[in-house]
Amino acid sequence: MTTIRRFCCDDLLRFASVNLDHLTETFNMSFYMTYLARWPDYFHVAEGPGNRIMGYIMGKVEGQGESWHGHVTAVTVAPEYRRQQLAKKLMNLLEDISDKIDKAYFVDLFVRASNTPAIKMYEKLGYVIYRRVLRYYSGEEDGLDMRKALSRDVEKKSIIPLKRPVTPDELEYD
Amino acid sequence: MASKFGLAGGIPERRVRPIWDAIDSRQFKNALKHATALLAKFPNSPYALALKALILERMGKADEALSVCLSAKELLYTNDSVLMDDLTLSTLQIVFQRLDHLDLATSCYEYACGKFPSNLELMMGLFNCYVREYSFVKQQQTAIKMYKLVGEERFLLWAVCSIQLQVLCGNGGEKLLLLAEGLLKKHVATHSLHEPEALMVYISILEQQAKYGDALEILSGKLGSLLMIEVDKLRIQGRLLARAGDYVAAANIFQKILELCPDDWDGFLHYLGCLLEDDSNWCNRAVNDTAHPPKSIIDCKISDLADEMFDSRISDASALVQRLQEDSNNNVIRCPFYANIEIERRKHLHGKGDDYKLMEALLQYFDRFGHLASFASDVEVFLDVLTPEKKTEFMEKLKKTSNCLLTVPTKALGQSITLLKVQQLIGNMFKLSVGELEGSAVQMTELYCKNLPLSKDLDPQENMHGEELLSMVCNVLVQLFWRTRNLGYFIEAIMVLEFGLTIRRFVWQYKILLLHLYSHLGALSVAHEWFKSLDVKNILMETVSHHILPQMLVSPLWVDLNNLLQDYLKFMDDHFRESADLTFLAYRHRNYSKVIEFVQFKERLQHSNQYLVARVEAPILKLKQNTDNIEDEEATLESLKYGIHFVELSNEIGSKSLTFNEDLNLRPWWTPSSERNYLLGPFEGVSYCPKENTIKEREANVRRVVERKSLLPRMIYLSIQSASTSLKENLEVNGSISDPKISSELKILLERYAKMLGFSFFDAIDIVSGVSGGLKSLEVFGSDLIDWLNFAVFLNSWNMSSHELVQADGDRSYPKIWHIVDSLLEKYILEKISSTESTILSPTVDLLVLVQLVTEPLAWHGLVIQSCVRSSLPSGKKKKKAGPADLSSLSCLRESVQSLCNITEKVTKWVRNQINRSEDENLESLLSSMQNKGREGPGQVLLIIEALVSSINDTDLGDRISQALKSWSHVDVARKIVTGKCTVFAEFLRNCESKFKMFQSLKQQIAQV
Repeated sequence: MTTIRRFCCDDLLRFASVNLDHLTETFNMSFYMTYLARWPDYFHVAEGPGNRIMGYIMGKVEGQGESWHGHVTAVTVAPEYRRQQLAKKLMNLLEDISDKIDKAYFVDLFVRASNTPAIKMYEKLGYVIYRRVLRYYSGEEDGLDMRKALSRDVEKKSIIPLKRPVTPDELEYD
Repeated sequence: MASKFGLAGGIPERRVRPIWDAIDSRQFKNALKHATALLAKFPNSPYALALKALILERMGKADEALSVCLSAKELLYTNDSVLMDDLTLSTLQIVFQRLDHLDLATSCYEYACGKFPSNLELMMGLFNCYVREYSFVKQQQTAIKMYKLVGEERFLLWAVCSIQLQVLCGNGGEKLLLLAEGLLKKHVATHSLHEPEALMVYISILEQQAKYGDALEILSGKLGSLLMIEVDKLRIQGRLLARAGDYVAAANIFQKILELCPDDWDGFLHYLGCLLEDDSNWCNRAVNDTAHPPKSIIDCKISDLADEMFDSRISDASALVQRLQEDSNNNVIRCPFYANIEIERRKHLHGKGDDYKLMEALLQYFDRFGHLASFASDVEVFLDVLTPEKKTEFMEKLKKTSNCLLTVPTKALGQSITLLKVQQLIGNMFKLSVGELEGSAVQMTELYCKNLPLSKDLDPQENMHGEELLSMVCNVLVQLFWRTRNLGYFIEAIMVLEFGLTIRRFVWQYKILLLHLYSHLGALSVAHEWFKSLDVKNILMETVSHHILPQMLVSPLWVDLNNLLQDYLKFMDDHFRESADLTFLAYRHRNYSKVIEFVQFKERLQHSNQYLVARVEAPILKLKQNTDNIEDEEATLESLKYGIHFVELSNEIGSKSLTFNEDLNLRPWWTPSSERNYLLGPFEGVSYCPKENTIKEREANVRRVVERKSLLPRMIYLSIQSASTSLKENLEVNGSISDPKISSELKILLERYAKMLGFSFFDAIDIVSGVSGGLKSLEVFGSDLIDWLNFAVFLNSWNMSSHELVQADGDRSYPKIWHIVDSLLEKYILEKISSTESTILSPTVDLLVLVQLVTEPLAWHGLVIQSCVRSSLPSGKKKKKAGPADLSSLSCLRESVQSLCNITEKVTKWVRNQINRSEDENLESLLSSMQNKGREGPGQVLLIIEALVSSINDTDLGDRISQALKSWSHVDVARKIVTGKCTVFAEFLRNCESKFKMFQSLKQQIAQV
């Protein structure tokens, strides 16, 4: 029972039950608003009965040439609505927009190397570990850059894993 | 920053690059050196000046920065030969903005645009200036100029958005929309539109004018193809049709949506609404109030359709739902099954309901989704349709259905939890006997313990199976406490949650419950610790702070309170500062709908009630912190401009619109808003507890608090002044006002204060004098105790300079107001400490009242006395001669100081006693409250926990859970409660000791006068 619609500012006032989760970061206002101002199609919220917020996804599209891609910045679901494949739905939506509207080559995301449950979920959704980013999280924990090729990348070149890990300053985008 | 031809602001780029680099790497001294050198070379370059100003501002030299900026501005205006480019102006703009002089930046751009009317870059800069100033009309005019200049779609849309903003957020009439529509129409005819967002704006302009037909025509025409996501387009179409009253066509569209997205619940509600021709979905909702959307499921209108028509429409809906059910080939699409229940509910509303069919639909839903954590909250609204008897019957049926064995243990657990939750929902718990309630808490705890092995392989980051059970146990135990007043249950509720957090420390639901429990018990420092562990930051400070802020405002934990207030105010103020720039970003990226949204959101936060309260409470906290030193207090008052603005705020508050952005859904049942705490009153059963909409009550409360509190800074200032002139002749200290003005202003404020308390000035005086003389009971002041005492304190200092109340006034005669104040403070404070006996054990608000009495009215009175003493001491060459009036005042002063010495000494002693009770003794009383005598009373849940801990099976539970269990100690928790309360006492003690010392020293000083 999910209505997925564009995220709007007022949703920021109602997402406490999602964001109090210790793995969900509450960013500063300019971060959310920059995403809303630049990539409103990549920021969606799922609502349940009684207009309760179930979860949301935020992302963007960026890159040059064959690295033009969708990026998942955050995807999160309130505890009450877990184990209902909601994250999958939200991810599919973002992939669809990247694929069909923006004609991107792939979608990527970063995840803490220790966050096994999330990594497993992304793998189930078709993502592969493309590379390891050393000390990506606050200079401490490694991050994994995971990717899923879209229809424009016919030969799936974008997801051939790199052989060596990279450092954060080698990343093309933030 | 690089520009064409290697020039930056007319200067070769290689010369400015080192400055940029130094600024970027925050080497401001170095940057300043380079900038000064550059200025020597290019003394008439406004850009070089702007750079210098930028650096100075970053170095914190605001005045110098402003003066350099003004020189640059002067150059731009007077010297025709200087370059006037966007780089120079935008650099100046940054500095002006940081110096809070947006107007100066705007006038620079205005001047430049006047000089170069066809420079698009400058005009965009000017538009941006108007965006920052929220000058919608000027925005519109500038955008139109740009549109005329280059004919680009985006500038037209900038103008249209500016028009919409005038209508929605300014004072522009709706007629303006016609203008916007005309502009768009003309442009579309010649150029069409190319951005989906432009189309959305066009449609919203038409929709706002109720031109639904026109909007539909555009949507279904060529422009409609701009919307790439089919469902989005259909949603707009459906909405427009419904608003136009074409329900049949709208229902068809919503049906299409459901066929594409069978789980779209909102889509189904719209579909059903259209079928039944119920327009409440479209009319009731204020278009933009999405933060508190009405629960659309409740808000539907009873259908006006004739019976036959109703039946046929309902059967259409049932057929669609049936089809959707058959098509759904996985187990996660809930909507078609849930929709069935809604259909039954609508029949109910139409008088054609059948309870058994409704129950049947609920049971079907349970059968499929009963194991999900959201089941209970999903069905909550439907249960309300049933009578209490039917609810019980339903519960029985549910129990029977669930008996069928589920093979997956996690699902079986989920179902059991759902049953328990539904039981709590339908209010059965309030009907159970104490024994049955205890039994239920025991059962839930056992279920939790039994199922712990299910979670043994889970990552510690993941939610464990059955975690909600401990929250539910807590809820039951608190209810037991409410009923029986046996504190053991309350302590046990704390134990259960602390136990849960020992096993997995990330469960925020436990933390929220715990912080409320600790607050109620007076262990505020522990409550605050748990609050901090929630990592509430950024926008969550607006929506989640209500869990802790109201308690902290009356606590002695001033350092923590100050951090809370400052962090919150900084967040809000930062947002207000940067919001316009983000709005401009939306303009630039052509996401026009976000432009409107951002401006409305900023307004919403600006009207936040919590923000207003924080803006009043932060300075009051500063005043409270400095009461023991009158010079510090005066410096604080000076920084507050002597409280003048706060008086204005108090005047305006009645007409100010307020927003309530707090998310109250996560509060525990016993305190649905910060104004309510059922545990403070007697047990009244279920009818008393629903989470009702308390906005009205909260609004009245906020207005009352702000109105009164924002008078305080000014009254404190005037009282100090009044007291200092009472013993001396009129004197003019720089900027301060002379005696007659002080007393007349203070009198006006006192009259207002009395009015706020519900009385005329003289009646209020009668009341304080009656209470102090024992003619009226102490209870008269009720919940306004602190305000009444403040009134008495300020009344006294007013009378010191006005002397109006000294002599008999017609029928009235007053005892000395000094005595009134002294006796009131003494009565209330001493009464509090004698009635608050064993505070370690009692959940109490008394301590907080005591803290307020000492840190507010008593402290303000202390300031008045300090001011008197200071002015009565011989200073400099002039030796004071005490006249007859002075002698009488002096004796009052002496008596008052003596009285305050006594009070603070007694309070200090009392607080110290509380702290010094041995820890063992305190622990003993806490733990014994849970001692289980026989098979009844508190402690049974704890026994189960202890039994689990004493028989840990490592293989069953896995390493992590076993280790966590081994570290559990309920004695440690009890110790934490005791220490937590002692921390609060200790903070208060420090305050009392400091006051006692201050009064003693005043006593010595005054003895020499």
